[in-house]
Amino acid sequence: MKNIIFAFLFVIISFSTTGQESILDSLFKELETHQKKDSLRVKVLINISWHLTYENPKKAQKYNEEALTVSSEINWEKGKAYAFRQKGISFYAMADYLNAMEEFQHSLNICELQNYEYLKSSIYNNLANVYADIGQTEKALENYNEYLSTVKKLNRRPDIINGLTNIGNIYNDNNKTGLALQYFKEALHIAEELKDEFYIAVILNNLGLAEKRKKNYPKALMYYKRASLLASKIDNKYIKSVALRNTGDINILQENYDLAKINGEKSLELANKIDAVESQKDSWKILSTVYEHEKNYKKSLSAYKNYILFKDSILNDEKKVEFTKREMQLQMEKKEAISIVKIERQRFIKNTAIAGGGALLVATFLGSILYKRKRDALEKKKVADFNTKVAETELKALRSQMNPHFIFNSLNSISDYMSKHDIDTANNYLIKFSKLTRSILENSEKKWISLEEDLELTELYIQIESLRLKNKLSYKIKIDEKIDIENTLIPPLILQPFIENSIWHGILPKETKGHILIEFKLENEMMICIVEDDGVGRKATVNTISENTSMGLKITKSRLDIINQLKNTKGNLKILDKPQGLKVELKLPLELKF
Amino acid sequence: MLKVIIIDDEQHCVDRINKLLNQHKKTIDIVEICTSVKCAKKAIESIKPDVIFLDIHLHEKTGFDLLKQFTTIDFEIIFTTAFDSYAINAFKFSALDYLLKPIDEDELNNTIKKIKDKVSLKDVSKKVEVLFHNLEEKTNQVKKIAVPTLEGLTFLKVTEIVRCQSDVNYTHIFLEGNKKITVAKTLKHFEDLLEPYNFFRTHNSHLINLSFVEKYVKGKGGYVLMSDRTHIEVAVRRKEGFINKLSSLF
Repeated sequence: MKNIIFAFLFVIISFSTTGQESILDSLFKELETHQKKDSLRVKVLINISWHLTYENPKKAQKYNEEALTVSSEINWEKGKAYAFRQKGISFYAMADYLNAMEEFQHSLNICELQNYEYLKSSIYNNLANVYADIGQTEKALENYNEYLSTVKKLNRRPDIINGLTNIGNIYNDNNKTGLALQYFKEALHIAEELKDEFYIAVILNNLGLAEKRKKNYPKALMYYKRASLLASKIDNKYIKSVALRNTGDINILQENYDLAKINGEKSLELANKIDAVESQKDSWKILSTVYEHEKNYKKSLSAYKNYILFKDSILNDEKKVEFTKREMQLQMEKKEAISIVKIERQRFIKNTAIAGGGALLVATFLGSILYKRKRDALEKKKVADFNTKVAETELKALRSQMNPHFIFNSLNSISDYMSKHDIDTANNYLIKFSKLTRSILENSEKKWISLEEDLELTELYIQIESLRLKNKLSYKIKIDEKIDIENTLIPPLILQPFIENSIWHGILPKETKGHILIEFKLENEMMICIVEDDGVGRKATVNTISENTSMGLKITKSRLDIINQLKNTKGNLKILDKPQGLKVELKLPLELKF
Repeated sequence: MLKVIIIDDEQHCVDRINKLLNQHKKTIDIVEICTSVKCAKKAIESIKPDVIFLDIHLHEKTGFDLLKQFTTIDFEIIFTTAFDSYAINAFKFSALDYLLKPIDEDELNNTIKKIKDKVSLKDVSKKVEVLFHNLEEKTNQVKKIAVPTLEGLTFLKVTEIVRCQSDVNYTHIFLEGNKKITVAKTLKHFEDLLEPYNFFRTHNSHLINLSFVEKYVKGKGGYVLMSDRTHIEVAVRRKEGFINKLSSLF
């Protein structure tokens, strides 16, 4: 789906980039001369950021920040709303969906309070683009519709075209060609009324795609022909190249290889000029098929290789955003309940305030993304972010294992034993405590240790806690016979937070003795680690879960995320309520030393 | 009866060793307790102990300063320290005994038993020599490692070890010039010690010195050709780490 939305929006960019240099230059000049911190300066700042979105979204954030600061200083709510939205746009351009959503949400909150109807609707479009990007079709549609209904009411025709086309794209991607055609035609109608040839050309291409999906090839060809002619007229290479490669596609389907060759070659030539990867990829594919038909296998193979090359460069990119997407989806599920309530409420607020901000009109089409640049920014950012995350998690894991509560509670118990003259127990306790502390410090920098070593540590930890609880606790460690504990690796003390939780929130509040079962077993190349207790369970303690426990849980999740990303696995964490007690199941990729 | 001197500048540490040794009083006689290097030197010279418990930090001096004053050492040494990874590593290399504070009763008993079973005084001087050799902070200093063999302690330069191969609980050490030594220690023991000195565990049963790698042959069953003409297997799971380490060296 992406490529179609992308096709539509990309064009707007390459269109608006003509003479961009001079626009930016003059904006910078204006910023230079207009030092006064007022609404005009904010407008200039946001405008600069907008124009930088595709060139350098990172740099754009600097201007967004200033715009936000100045707006706050002069209490200009609209400026703040625009600044937040622009921040979201810049994050979106860097494929940082989570942060983008957050900024959009800030902006949305202001719009709602201040009744900025038009601006608010444009944010729905922004949000819809995010949802579309991460494959949440229904949410995307919902938000596009919200956007569309407002701009229709306000009769903002370029926005109406934008909304209709985006919705059409979604329907087309989901094989609802009838609906898609309907939306595209409505959009086309408005564009024709406006006599905007650029929009017309874009929509024609999309109409062609929908007809192709319906296997109505002559009609599709006709749309592409019109798109191509218009693109030549307005001198837009991107649209032209898309139209040509789409035509080539149909030529092949109709086994008209001579025409396919001409169109493929022309499309490729244009795509090469403007570095349009999608078009380059598709053109090579067309040419490969043509050469094959000509029985020129050598040329066909080389064309195919080029096709794969471009395809891979797009796919690689997609893989990289995969992680963000997954994280995003998780977050969204959590927020779902809240946002449903919010959206419902917003629907019922019907005010007619008319939003201004003409200078920023163009910013509505922010779904546009220049993938190539995004890719570069994304790559650097993801690598840096990932490394930071790894470092932070390691540190936090150490902190949670060596948490101050644990240290001082242990020392306290030792002191208690001493004051009661139970010197041997105190001594035993102290020795174990110092051993554990030493091992944690030594192992903290290791990412994996052998299960054998880890069991030693885990057992030591439980022994210390059970000494403190004076016989209230018994435990058992069960290991699958198939597991070779010397050769199997696991992250040091990964189960410790769950054991701690079982002891403190499961067994301690219980009146009788408690038992903890720790189990390791193998299942389809995955290692299942289980901590099970017969304590009071979650229901009884739902309000008393300490900060420490939830912290431990967060850190474990974070460690798991990192492992999943590095090993490309699907490890997970399940917390299950038992009739009596709690069961935690951690699934890790089976990691062997040899 | 073993004559023992405890050397530690902190009274509570002395008390603890004292208390723990109390259960060995039939075989161990604590003859002197010293809190300084000066006192310890005198006591050792006059008493001629069998064993000393030696703390590393003694006021502004160290236990090593004490040992340097003796040309030959004819007593067993048990070092005691709380946390000093540099020194601990050096003890491991020279096969000297050490105890971590707070001292665990079981560990102390094990060490005492070991000393009673086999007082191998002839090795102590040599061990201490190796210790000092390894502690010297010269660059390009070649580490030496003490290896207990059937014939007694052997001292090897780390750089002359070509590779180690495990054989259940034994390890065969292959040296330059086609020499071979068999030691009753696990390969893991040597891996932990030697890993920082250009060694790499390529396989469950192989630890190799990367300086002796002649050629690495890639492929599924990848292997390395060592300078002694042996082919050493590289386990599939170790391949990536191996290549990373190799490329960081050359």
